[in-house]
Amino acid sequence: MFKCVVLSGYLLSSVLWAADAPIGWVKNVTGDASVSSHGVLVRAESGTAVWQGSVLRTGAKSSMGITFKDETIMSFGPNTQMSVDEYLYAPAQGQLSLVGKLAKGTMNYVSGIIAKLQPDAVAVNTPVGMIGVRGTQFVVKVEE
Amino acid sequence: MPFKAGVFRSFLIPFMLAFLLQACASESYIVLLENPDGHTGAVTVSGEKGKQLIKKAGDGALLDGSQAPAPVAADKIREDFGEAMAARPKVPKRFILYFQIDTTLTAESEGQLPTIIAEAASRPAVDISVVGHTDTMGKADENAALALVRATLVANLLKEKGLKYHNMTVESHGERNLLILTPNEVYEPKNRRVEVSVR
Repeated sequence: MFKCVVLSGYLLSSVLWAADAPIGWVKNVTGDASVSSHGVLVRAESGTAVWQGSVLRTGAKSSMGITFKDETIMSFGPNTQMSVDEYLYAPAQGQLSLVGKLAKGTMNYVSGIIAKLQPDAVAVNTPVGMIGVRGTQFVVKVEE
Repeated sequence: MPFKAGVFRSFLIPFMLAFLLQACASESYIVLLENPDGHTGAVTVSGEKGKQLIKKAGDGALLDGSQAPAPVAADKIREDFGEAMAARPKVPKRFILYFQIDTTLTAESEGQLPTIIAEAASRPAVDISVVGHTDTMGKADENAALALVRATLVANLLKEKGLKYHNMTVESHGERNLLILTPNEVYEPKNRRVEVSVR
């Protein structure tokens, strides 16, 4: 009986997990970088999945490049921390949103389809100000 | 009088630029760049000290919104952002394949399949989405099913011809995501398509 309850709980959680699909993939890493998702920290390498809520970090003399499902590109220089707090990409349902926070470091950003279809749906927060993105490429630096 | 104004301006502008660049050296800032496709969009910064709109490539501003946008030297961009820029993955590529009336690709689109496979092979951890679409002829739910048949067909053809990938998703947008906007019940060949995004 007890086993049965544990098993059904496990099955339920894996079903929920499957519904929550990756939103992007790490393409390249130099040095030390990590992706923390669902409370689990993974050393980043080419092919590591990124999820809504993931926290992306690079160490000293390190960098990392990520491509998202909607073709948004983010790449980071050393000592950077960025979280992807909200990511919705369902164009047929009109659900589009990309909200992140760059806590420190440097980022090169190239906007994808979310910014193209709904420019006001994209925002990058920083400790000093908020960036609104109108379909473009930019670089940004946040000093602690 | 014009002479005097000219002297004043030529003194003031370099002074203001130097001030911005110096401020940037120890602060948080953004620089707008040209898109990889050659277009330039815009960014806004909204901070405690104001709101700025940057719409010229090469212009930068502090993230607190305190200063109007001004050009940032290319050397400085390289110094601060060289590593982040070097880590930028290849820009994704999108292919649109068209169908004859049913689930048969046009000859031209069928000829594009090897190009898609070669593009995928050139990328690390390549992830691919295959999204099927229809025009607005017929019922919405039947079109949703037809678009999924089209997407699945393209995914299978690509795999048969040797496509290698890290991740692939196959989806249907039915008639809800038209390439050419039309009213309902309109025959439009450009809407009968599968879009393949190679990232």
